[in-house]
Amino acid sequence: MTEKTEEKSLLREVWDALSFSEIRTAMRVALKHMFVKPVTFQYPREKRTIPDAHRGALGLLRYDDGTERCVGCDLCEAACPSRCIKVVSAENPERPLSRYATEFYIDITKCVFCGYCVEACPVNALAMTKMYEYSTADKRQLIFDKKRLYEIGEKHIEDAKRYLYAHNQEKNDTESLQYRYKFPHQVAGLTPPQDS
Amino acid sequence: MALKPVTSPDTEAPTIQLTIDGQPVQTKAGVSLYDVISETGKIIPAMCYHYTFDPFGSCGMCLVMVEGKKAPVRSCTAKAEGGMQVRTEGDDLFQARKKAVEKHLTIHPLDCPVCDADGHCELQDMAFQHGVTNLVNAKPKGLPEDRRSLVLDFNMNRCILCGECINICKDVQMVDALQFFKKEGTTHVVAKGDEGLVCEFCGDCLAVCPVGAITNKYSKYIYKPWQLKKTTSTCAYCADGCQMSIETSGKAVQRVTSPLSWKNKWGDRAETAKGHGGLCVRGRFGFQYIDSKERLGMPLVRTEEGFVPRSWFEVMDAVVGQMKAIKTQHGPNAIAGLITARCTNEELYLFQKLMRAAIGTSQVDSSARYGHLNFTRALQHAAGVGRMMNGYEEITKANVLLLIGTDITETNPVASLRVKEAIRVYGAQVIVATSRLTNIAKLASHPLPIAAGSERWLIQALVKAAVEEDLVDEAATTATPEAFAALKAAVAGLSWEALTARTGVSREAAVEAVRLYAEAPKAVILCAEGVTRQIEGYASVLNLVDLAWVTGKLTRPGCGVNALPEEANEQGAVDMGVASELLPGQALYADEDARTKFATAWRCSLPPPDPSATLMEILKRCREGRIKALYLVGENPLATLPASTGVQEALEKVQLLICQDPFLTETGRLAHVVLPATTFAEKDGTFTNLEGKVNRVRPALEPYEEARPDWEIFAALGTALGYPMEYEAAQDVQREIMKLLPGYYNLGEPRPVTARPEGYLRDGYVREVAARYAANTDRTETDQAVRPFALTIGQVLYHSGKLSARASGLLQLYPSKGRLQMNPEDLAQLQLGPQDVVRVTSTRGSVELRTGPNHDLARGTCFFPDHFNEPPVKDLAECVVDPTTGVPAFKFTHVAIEKL
Ligand code: SF4
Ligand code: SF4
Ligand code: SF4
Ligand code: SF4
Ligand code: SF4
Ligand code: FES
Repeated sequence: MTEKTEEKSLLREVWDALSFSEIRTAMRVALKHMFVKPVTFQYPREKRTIPDAHRGALGLLRYDDGTERCVGCDLCEAACPSRCIKVVSAENPERPLSRYATEFYIDITKCVFCGYCVEACPVNALAMTKMYEYSTADKRQLIFDKKRLYEIGEKHIEDAKRYLYAHNQEKNDTESLQYRYKFPHQVAGLTPPQDS
Repeated sequence: MALKPVTSPDTEAPTIQLTIDGQPVQTKAGVSLYDVISETGKIIPAMCYHYTFDPFGSCGMCLVMVEGKKAPVRSCTAKAEGGMQVRTEGDDLFQARKKAVEKHLTIHPLDCPVCDADGHCELQDMAFQHGVTNLVNAKPKGLPEDRRSLVLDFNMNRCILCGECINICKDVQMVDALQFFKKEGTTHVVAKGDEGLVCEFCGDCLAVCPVGAITNKYSKYIYKPWQLKKTTSTCAYCADGCQMSIETSGKAVQRVTSPLSWKNKWGDRAETAKGHGGLCVRGRFGFQYIDSKERLGMPLVRTEEGFVPRSWFEVMDAVVGQMKAIKTQHGPNAIAGLITARCTNEELYLFQKLMRAAIGTSQVDSSARYGHLNFTRALQHAAGVGRMMNGYEEITKANVLLLIGTDITETNPVASLRVKEAIRVYGAQVIVATSRLTNIAKLASHPLPIAAGSERWLIQALVKAAVEEDLVDEAATTATPEAFAALKAAVAGLSWEALTARTGVSREAAVEAVRLYAEAPKAVILCAEGVTRQIEGYASVLNLVDLAWVTGKLTRPGCGVNALPEEANEQGAVDMGVASELLPGQALYADEDARTKFATAWRCSLPPPDPSATLMEILKRCREGRIKALYLVGENPLATLPASTGVQEALEKVQLLICQDPFLTETGRLAHVVLPATTFAEKDGTFTNLEGKVNRVRPALEPYEEARPDWEIFAALGTALGYPMEYEAAQDVQREIMKLLPGYYNLGEPRPVTARPEGYLRDGYVREVAARYAANTDRTETDQAVRPFALTIGQVLYHSGKLSARASGLLQLYPSKGRLQMNPEDLAQLQLGPQDVVRVTSTRGSVELRTGPNHDLARGTCFFPDHFNEPPVKDLAECVVDPTTGVPAFKFTHVAIEKL
């Protein structure tokens, strides 16, 4: 501020006071805002559009043929900085020679939504969705198990795929739609070997 | 120093000088250049190298530049030469190594996420270190997995053909079960003959495989290395005392790994004489009993409706009440206790203290009574040494090894590797006297076939041969001429005809064997169950001492007499004084001063030595009603001893039978109270191995449900009985032992022992020796006609006692087959097919069972594993108790076999 304005003349001050000039200015601002679109939302009646890259609740995904993508490799657990993932794996009884997760837990109360697990996953079995409404009175509900995670993944499959595209983890083209990461055999386009 | 000459590491080679990265280095000529480099502290990548065997040179990673050569050379197979100028670093070498990694990766499946080696894989590490990010024309092999073997799966897609598995199996194990094999243009590692692998399943190949090409069926796909908590501990099966890592997640044991691994590839070849860090099949694959569903989770009390679970509080209250009542009514000698030698030293110590100080009985015994005490007592008596005289290193470096009555590759597999190393690396001559064509007999330079069960006469024959052929050491025999004269007179009474008839060994063969033994500068005798668990075991050990003494091998460094204990801590049980005649430190219980010393330390008065009793006497007193309460810790006499000993009657007769065990055993079913104990994997403490080395046992898991470590139960019982035993941890007990037995905790280092036979030879020897060589007969001619087959009940590689029969992994490898093993020719002669049932009859009764062929058995002999009692073949054997040590011998008998 200049020194001039600071040293308002006494006359000016008296005039401002008598003419309620400050109130007039305030009213002007208020009136102006009555005619512009509000920036807040009337949540939960109104919801904001969420960008594809948004980091929401985690879900587990399936391939389009319904098989579980996850191979139980536990890299997500290793990558997680808040140690909220637990994977228990075993040999897949339906597809011998391949692993799968028999149990899978994410303690979403601990999750810091860094997305490292999604990045670590070699088969893009994990993705973040736009789901964020899972508050509950029962904290145990916030330890998502394998069933819940696949439900989330199923319900939000489109969002999940968009998340992966947005983070450059999967391409929206035919090559990656073949999901060449079905471990271990699809690596070379092989059919799973028969148990000898 | 990592010397690796092809021949003996003891061989002297000229010293040479060369420069490595500008630094002058001195070494021996002919040593692998790689070893010379790693000695300077430089680590260059190497994927096919392991210090335990000769360099193979297939991976192409260990490249170095040698002045004067245009291309990089493989340092592992290159020999160090004088004046060499070697460069180990530089961009050219980095690029060359990177090329080698890329070459491996182009035919690699890259299925790390599902690979069990993921995170513990040398190829991965190398790819990362060399920044391999892009592969052109990658073409994995696309092979099916070889799942024909019982424990190991071979995934040849991931194999980098480093040959480590083949080399360790051939050089260290001397099993030679694996080979490279070309099939349809690709080289595979397969079992010899391209069949399902049938080998000793030590798993050392699995441990050294640097990639995920060999996988463990029992742990496959259920872990990633970073999920597992690793606890270093000591194996609880046999007395070899192998160090192992128990890897757990949560409450489950996922796998067991060994210090031997591709990761520990740098070492000194000469150091393997002390052990190579591997495990045997039991240690590596027999862990399933630890977290088995059959474990006891609660104390059980027998009521009219059978066993009911009760809280510790209630049960301890009842037990203490009853014990006190029995003690007041019948005196402390109405209480006796037996403990297994699979408990830790601290527990063994505490147990005898509980029995002696808190209860006031001297009737305590351990499973060392089944044989090892024959050895320790004899050696203590004759030479003042209470354990094996030679450690692993001395066994490895002996010139001659004399093995009598030991199937060492089966009972003590890792100790047997020392004998194998002696043969292979140090060129030792090995005499194996055995009735079976055991694995070690197949490798021996001098196999000495003997009649089954004739070890004791063979020993007499060897002593007689040494004396008669004057293969005696002047210095040793002239020092005590009376003793030598007495021995001479004693062996003169033996006739060669009788000895040869019994042993099947001619005089010439005995002389040849003893000559070899006597003339060697370093000669070691190893015996085991065939001597210590047989009739006259104590006398036989003394006769072996005679053999060593007259040939001058008793006091000479690098020589000695040894008996291999069977269970993990048999040596510890003896050292902790868990025998009615011993106190901790193997002091004699009858010795007034020793008793006073411990009584003062324990602030109690110790019971007089008189009504003390050993195992068989305790059972007898139970039968007679003199013992009212029997406390069994991990012992299962009902399943161990033959029925003719009246063991069942004894156990049923006692008023209070307490069984403390991780499992509900046959004996446990007769008990009034069953207390759930933990396995070694939930305990803190120490085991003493056969070398006398004290090894740490660390808890890998929390105790299973309500089970408690044995020492905690002893301490609680003692305190409740009014004798304060307040220990917070096993270390408190350890500290107490340290005070009483200074120097016992030599963690990791075997203590050398010196034999002092002089006293014994001067005094007492003359009185005893005649009886030891008395011509004893135990089998008449008619006997032989009626019961022509010699039956041995013994151990097999895949099992240890009854405990391993709870490990599902080992049962898969060796289930209870219920078949009597016989020589195939005998089977043919008796026209026995696999479905035929035979009746096997001994003086003690008969059992009916099927038979199976075993090519290693001599004609006229048969074998049954002592780990299984279906059918109860053990009951056929007679039980003969040693008059001096009270050791029961019940593993050998003669039977008639008839087809039904
Ligand atoms: S979600 Fe992905 S990273 Fe996690 S275990 Fe499954 S496959 Fe591995
Ligand atoms: S062997 Fe190593 S590089 Fe090969 S798939 Fe397994 S972890 Fe990956
Ligand atoms: S398990 Fe042992 S004996 Fe069997 S192939 Fe491997 S190294 Fe050889
Ligand atoms: S199986 Fe393993 S140890 Fe054997 S050659 Fe292949 S990579 Fe080497
Ligand atoms: S059973 Fe014996 S040889 Fe085998 S791993 Fe255990 S201690 Fe070692
Ligand atoms: S370490 Fe030398 S070639 Fe493999």
